[in-house]
Amino acid sequence: MSTAAADPVLSPTTGEPVAVVARRNRLGIWLCIVSDAAGTVSLLIAYAYLWSLNVNGGWAPKKGAWAPDWLFWAIVLGMVVACALLWWGVKSVFAGHREGLVVAATLSSLLLLAMFILQIWQLATFPFDISESSYTSATFWLALSNAFHLSLGSLLVLAVVNRTRAGKIGVDNPFQSRLVAMWITWLCAAALLGAIFTTAMKDSPNTDPPAFQSFTQPHTS
Amino acid sequence: MSSATEVMRPEEVPQPKQYGKPGGFLRHTNIITGTVSGIVLAAIAYLVAGALRPPPSDENALALPVGLDPQFAAMYIGWTIGLLLGIGAFDGPLRWFLGHDLTHEDAEYMAGAGQGKWRYFKYTTDHKVVGKQYLVMSLVLLGVGGTLAMMIRTELGITWMEVFNPNVYNSIIGTHGMVMVIAMIIVVSGPIGNFIVPIMIGARDMAFPRLNALSFWLLFAAVPPLVSSLFLGGIRDGWSVYQPLNSQAPVGMLGYQTTIIVFAFSTGIASVNLITTIVTMRARGMTWSRVPIFVYGIIGSSVMGLIWFPMFQYSQILSWSDRVLQSNFFNPAQGGSVWLYENLFWLLGHPEVYVIVIPGTAALMELTTVFVRKPLFSYKLAIAGIFGVVGISGIVWAHHMYMTGFAPSANYPFMLSTELISIPFGFLVLVLLGTIWRGKVWTRLPMMAVYAVVWNKVVGGITGVWLSDVPVDQYMHGSMFVVAHFHFMLMGAALFSAIAAIAYWFPKMTGRYLNERIGSIGFWVAFAGFQLCFGSMFFAGLQGMPRRVLQFDNAFNLSNWLSTIGAYTIGIGTVIFLYAIITSWRGGQTAPMNPWAAQTLEWTVPNPVPLENFKVLPVVTTDPYNYGVPDPYASQVADVGDETSQKVSVS
Amino acid sequence: MSTTQNPPPPVEEPEEPTNRPPALHRATKWLERPYARRIILISGVYVIAILAVLWFAIWVLNSSGGPASGIMAEIATTMIWLTIVASPLMGFTVATLVYSLFGWGRVGGDEPPMQENPDIRTNATAVIAWITATSLLAGFLVVWGLVELAGITAGAYGTVPANKQQGFVAPINVNVTGQQWVWTFEYPDLGKIQSDVLVLPIDRPTYFNVTSNDVVHNFWAVELGIKIDANPGAITNTGVTPNKLGTFNIRCAELCGLHHAYMETKVQVVTQDEFDSWVREMGGGKTL
Repeated sequence: MSTAAADPVLSPTTGEPVAVVARRNRLGIWLCIVSDAAGTVSLLIAYAYLWSLNVNGGWAPKKGAWAPDWLFWAIVLGMVVACALLWWGVKSVFAGHREGLVVAATLSSLLLLAMFILQIWQLATFPFDISESSYTSATFWLALSNAFHLSLGSLLVLAVVNRTRAGKIGVDNPFQSRLVAMWITWLCAAALLGAIFTTAMKDSPNTDPPAFQSFTQPHTS
Repeated sequence: MSSATEVMRPEEVPQPKQYGKPGGFLRHTNIITGTVSGIVLAAIAYLVAGALRPPPSDENALALPVGLDPQFAAMYIGWTIGLLLGIGAFDGPLRWFLGHDLTHEDAEYMAGAGQGKWRYFKYTTDHKVVGKQYLVMSLVLLGVGGTLAMMIRTELGITWMEVFNPNVYNSIIGTHGMVMVIAMIIVVSGPIGNFIVPIMIGARDMAFPRLNALSFWLLFAAVPPLVSSLFLGGIRDGWSVYQPLNSQAPVGMLGYQTTIIVFAFSTGIASVNLITTIVTMRARGMTWSRVPIFVYGIIGSSVMGLIWFPMFQYSQILSWSDRVLQSNFFNPAQGGSVWLYENLFWLLGHPEVYVIVIPGTAALMELTTVFVRKPLFSYKLAIAGIFGVVGISGIVWAHHMYMTGFAPSANYPFMLSTELISIPFGFLVLVLLGTIWRGKVWTRLPMMAVYAVVWNKVVGGITGVWLSDVPVDQYMHGSMFVVAHFHFMLMGAALFSAIAAIAYWFPKMTGRYLNERIGSIGFWVAFAGFQLCFGSMFFAGLQGMPRRVLQFDNAFNLSNWLSTIGAYTIGIGTVIFLYAIITSWRGGQTAPMNPWAAQTLEWTVPNPVPLENFKVLPVVTTDPYNYGVPDPYASQVADVGDETSQKVSVS
Repeated sequence: MSTTQNPPPPVEEPEEPTNRPPALHRATKWLERPYARRIILISGVYVIAILAVLWFAIWVLNSSGGPASGIMAEIATTMIWLTIVASPLMGFTVATLVYSLFGWGRVGGDEPPMQENPDIRTNATAVIAWITATSLLAGFLVVWGLVELAGITAGAYGTVPANKQQGFVAPINVNVTGQQWVWTFEYPDLGKIQSDVLVLPIDRPTYFNVTSNDVVHNFWAVELGIKIDANPGAITNTGVTPNKLGTFNIRCAELCGLHHAYMETKVQVVTQDEFDSWVREMGGGKTL
């Protein structure tokens, strides 16, 4: 790093030190995270709102089969491990070891890819149909959004591997790896929120919703 | 900026390997390849999805028109991806993935160097090109929306018969609403935000030039689905397309949903880009207390768009899913809730009003200083006003839902927050008044627009006070009164400030003066028509006329006739104004570098603005409002509190 | 380098004793300025104009036969008071603009004028006065609105024990169903009779349970001043005590598809006797 400070690497397109560009990109990533978080929050709002209303008694899946919890948590666990690996690689490249990043990012991207496949498998093997109830719809979309996150995340980490090997990310220009790691950290948080919601909110608290197209409350006399 | 290293000329920096000619793949892409590839991919997707379509099932109770939905959904996805492919939007991510980083020549090619007029039809990264693209796009959208508005007023003015059948009429209403909302969101932030803001803060380009191009071409991709929906059954349910009408509607609704989803990406990307540019790329010495107020307005608007737009986007993604994947988010028979849709929709739906109004208002403050030649009154109050509105904007959405019954007790807090937001908004009015106060006004068109806008804001303000009150809203909600009120705010305040902003920055963007005589005639004709059109619409609402109807009691005839006459007058004025813009752009009088003698940085660069904006990056030593002389009244009446005003000597 | 970029924060309280005169004196001094007086004069004219328009607006509001309930009368009162309170600030805003065009002089021409204008960066007095005024205004709106809302909510949902009201009468329940594009009214306590015209006895509290069979409608009894969405899959409530005999309008105020414009019916407010005979005619069971 001391050599880098003395003779900063300059961006070929604008002529600025890459550290300046990196600071700019970091803000950009933060803003992307804010925006994506707003989207994830609206999915969670949808989940919680439908759970709390139980319109027409239609929250619970018709066949009574809730999605198994362990799969959500397994995916979260895998993502957290992948994220920790990537951060370890980022630390090592900032400490001057490019090889560390290559190894860590390769493992991390493989793990994320595995989680992506697991997520697709979960989507394919839910014990219910998306159109069965509002719970099934909301859960399906939480999983789908996570699948989208994972596909994007694993591609980004793969790109880090590729760029590090090509020397575009290196000891004197390590910033992009940290940006990707920040993004992956947010993806873990999003997956965690989804897992918490699907685990904690199953049976609706509203046991007495009005019936559709009538003025009757089905469960009271 | 704080870096001690001098910025080198990019050419002197060691360059990465050049892959092919500068620009690479982007040498071969333009609007034609983009459109063709979009259409081809849309057709392929449509046919493939049709071939894969499962046989229709009749299990679902609320039998939604599922048959063609997946096919048309695939078509719209195909169009969007195809357009982006064909225009070259995926070139950047792919190159980044492969490690083929841009050289300086690549970047220059992509910014449009040496491509003449063609650069306006390509994936060009130069912020000035993007700004002009946005300007043309917003004018086109305003034209489309305005034409639809004329059709609405024609129907409502001809009270003795149905001009359009109800389905067509309802489609016109919905399309008018959505087109206008999109046009208004981009009309200041797009052209002025992209073209002027980077120069205003002393930057060479936006922070992420390729994302800048992407944001425009996403907008370009978003418009055809909206127009196509007119031919696929239309958006029959108003611009807010409440559920479950949304799911009942013909397949044209997918066009609406695609538009919103894609447009939300466009806005999000533009917001990220603008905020990052402003925060990290200001010229040396441009501290936060020296930033022109317009830039604060753009930040405020972008922050709101960034946070709230995804909610709107998800309301449409989930609606899309209800139609295409048969999910149950909004289907009440199966546990879905219409209130969920309304909440998600208005979570953006209201902040969006401020997304539209704030940049326009900030532009007015900016140009008022120039034409009154006084410093901005209470700069800090203006900033407080903008961020006060931004802060409260997120907790007022449910005042659109007072009458939905989704949570009657929530009406109390939402009425509270709605009425409190008038306090920071009032700051902005005071700033305008204080800036005009005791100044000799230079009566040019942009300044005259300030008067028109403040007048409209006062009318919109008083009627807004009524609507914010739940019991009064119990009468007004869903009536023509609401329509008149929000047109006073969105058109009277926001569109007229956008006109002022465009007229003010026109010489910098095009290098020519806007023909002021013709422009003024158009402007004032439109203003007069506007007062008649929406003034009398208030009275239709007070009489009890619901909105979005095509036939009504005879009692409402008079106010509707007057409204229609007003609307045609607006139409005439707008046409005159558009004529002024087009003729001035093509052959108007050439403008000097700084025609208004303004002090912000964008007026220090020559016309036409060079590719890199500044030969040498400027260093800012003062704020941009050093107009005026020490107060002549100050010595005489020092006991009235003027001693706090600062005497400034321009260095 | 200029050193004057950040004006020091406005001094609100003098740190040392000065001969700064009291606020009233300063206000009087300010009012001696000719432009101040003229602006206030124009504001006054504008406020009077607003009040004239307001009077006309209220006349239009009730031109179709209202107010037919206490709520509707309350709405008109609210509009009057909110406008009266808000109009001075609005008047001042417009007056300043009008005066600035004629009073302080203006310049035309194509060349940027290099005239001299007072260099007012801020003015603590003006800022504080404005914030105080707008806050008081907003505070008034909030308090008025909250109190009034609590009042009409109590009336509409019966949260005030009915027997404590003067002249207690038992309320009537009406189930309102919206469907594309008709309204159906059911009287659950009166033998479940159904009608497509709403008939109500005068001076009896009526509670509405509102729902929809298909899409979102909005039940708007215009001259009675009540409105609530009819949502599929949910029941919403509102209520009113009509106090004027006559036939009034019910409209749908939420776009509900093809024939939204024609989804309207009438509400007849009749005497108790007429109501009872109507119920019998419809085959209703017991009357209240």
